[in-house]
Amino acid sequence: MIADAVFWILAVLAVFSAWRVFRTDSMVRAAYWLLVSFVGVGLIMVMLKAEFLGVILILMMGGEMTIMAVFMVMFMMNPAGLNPMIMVHQNRAAMAAGFGSFALLSAVGLFARFPASVVAPTARATAELGTELLGDSMLVFQTAGVTLLAAMIGAVALVSVRGRFGPADEGSDAPEQQPAADADVDSSAPPSSTGPSSSAASSPTPPAPSTTPEVTEGAMPADHSHEGA
Amino acid sequence: MVGEALSTAGLALAVVAVMIGGTYVAAVLDVLFTRLTMRVAVRPLAAAALPLRRAAQLALQRRTLTERPDAGTWALAPAVLAALAAVSLAVVPLTGTLIPVEADTGIVVFAAAMALVVVAVYLQGWSPNSPLSLVAAYRFVAEGLSYEIPFAVVLIGTALPARSLALVPIVTSQEHLWNVIRQPLGLPVYLITVLALSFWGPLALPEGQDVAGGTSLELSGVPRLLWRVAQLNVLVAVSAMGAAVFLGGWLGPWLPGGVWMALKTLFLLALLVASRQFFARVRTESFVVVAWTVLTPLALVDVFLAGIQAMVAAR
Repeated sequence: MIADAVFWILAVLAVFSAWRVFRTDSMVRAAYWLLVSFVGVGLIMVMLKAEFLGVILILMMGGEMTIMAVFMVMFMMNPAGLNPMIMVHQNRAAMAAGFGSFALLSAVGLFARFPASVVAPTARATAELGTELLGDSMLVFQTAGVTLLAAMIGAVALVSVRGRFGPADEGSDAPEQQPAADADVDSSAPPSSTGPSSSAASSPTPPAPSTTPEVTEGAMPADHSHEGA
Repeated sequence: MVGEALSTAGLALAVVAVMIGGTYVAAVLDVLFTRLTMRVAVRPLAAAALPLRRAAQLALQRRTLTERPDAGTWALAPAVLAALAAVSLAVVPLTGTLIPVEADTGIVVFAAAMALVVVAVYLQGWSPNSPLSLVAAYRFVAEGLSYEIPFAVVLIGTALPARSLALVPIVTSQEHLWNVIRQPLGLPVYLITVLALSFWGPLALPEGQDVAGGTSLELSGVPRLLWRVAQLNVLVAVSAMGAAVFLGGWLGPWLPGGVWMALKTLFLLALLVASRQFFARVRTESFVVVAWTVLTPLALVDVFLAGIQAMVAAR
């Protein structure tokens, strides 16, 4: 009785929050509605005696959804993630895909034959899962795991050293700024230098050349001739 | 049926009592350590009353609001943090017989609840629609990704000698030798990562002065009180878990189990609370680098050694 009530509460929560994902206007809210939905599903899995899988699902999704929110905010150029924005696009294609996958999953639910065996209350589901993962199926799971790890390391290696704004370990390059020929601009600071010094070059009160001790012959900018113009 | 419901209610009450009591003790300890390091005379009654006075002040303080916050998630954040602390505390066996929730995967439940702390802190920083608060929220996400792995790995290390993810076997497996000695790397890594997780003391990075208070910048009145209480709840939960998995939980001679558990929890709680007085705040970048390049490898060495020990013991 109580178990039924808990199941229905969790099921309604999971479906309701999954629906809210598409009705909210913020990426962060969408990500965390999805997290609520996953928590509901994870708790239902705990009720189904898949305790470890349910809890692990919640553990993974907690970090996962936060990372998703951060990535969405990064790519969508919506720095806060709090600004309202339209979260659904390509409505026709999305609806077709949604109804299609719903029909497919419903068909599986209606026509597939599920095992009807009742799990004994004394079954040690976690221990059995562990034995399976590190026993007969070890090769499959370890292969998948190592492949994923290699992909992750590869992705980090690809993005970490040379990013969009220059080498990651040297700080980001400021955008190239060409001073106007007739402007009174101090060009002693090298234009390709990092953050602070190049912003000093474009600031209204540039430092006198004699007070910048780092400037050496090699670091002199190519457009040095502008100084005389 | 009725008896079962009553005993469940009793256990829930025990968890709430431990959490509230532990939170109060943590607040008093903080006052004591502050007074002691400042060489101010400590009057016991005043020290015991100060946290309550501060709480009353905050409760009566008028709450300030920001422009267009997400009111729902803002109100939710402290509740989520406190609920996560309660869930983590509920799986900790308080004595050999007083076990609020005896889960097969107790230590995984604890790790899952503590992984969601990032969500609570992020929501706290994001919801008020305030720049520095938001910066701190993203800072905590970066930090969370870094401390989460060593934190989870040293916990797994304690499960290896017990050959179980449940907490009662993990405690009883320390009958002859506590994990703090058997796995010398475990407790130090655990303490550093839980300091980051409860954003306290040297690792109070999302609330640092460089972001003007960060996630708690826009908090005043009751929300600030709730956020502070929830933070201390987390400190209590991680201390209790540390006592159970590294210091042998309720095991010990002469005294009853509950007293041992209380003493060990109090010891870890005092260590964590006192860290605020003795260490300067760490920079976020340094912490993230140390977490990935020092703490994670140390945690892996720890779990590797624990595995070898478990294999030798199983022979």
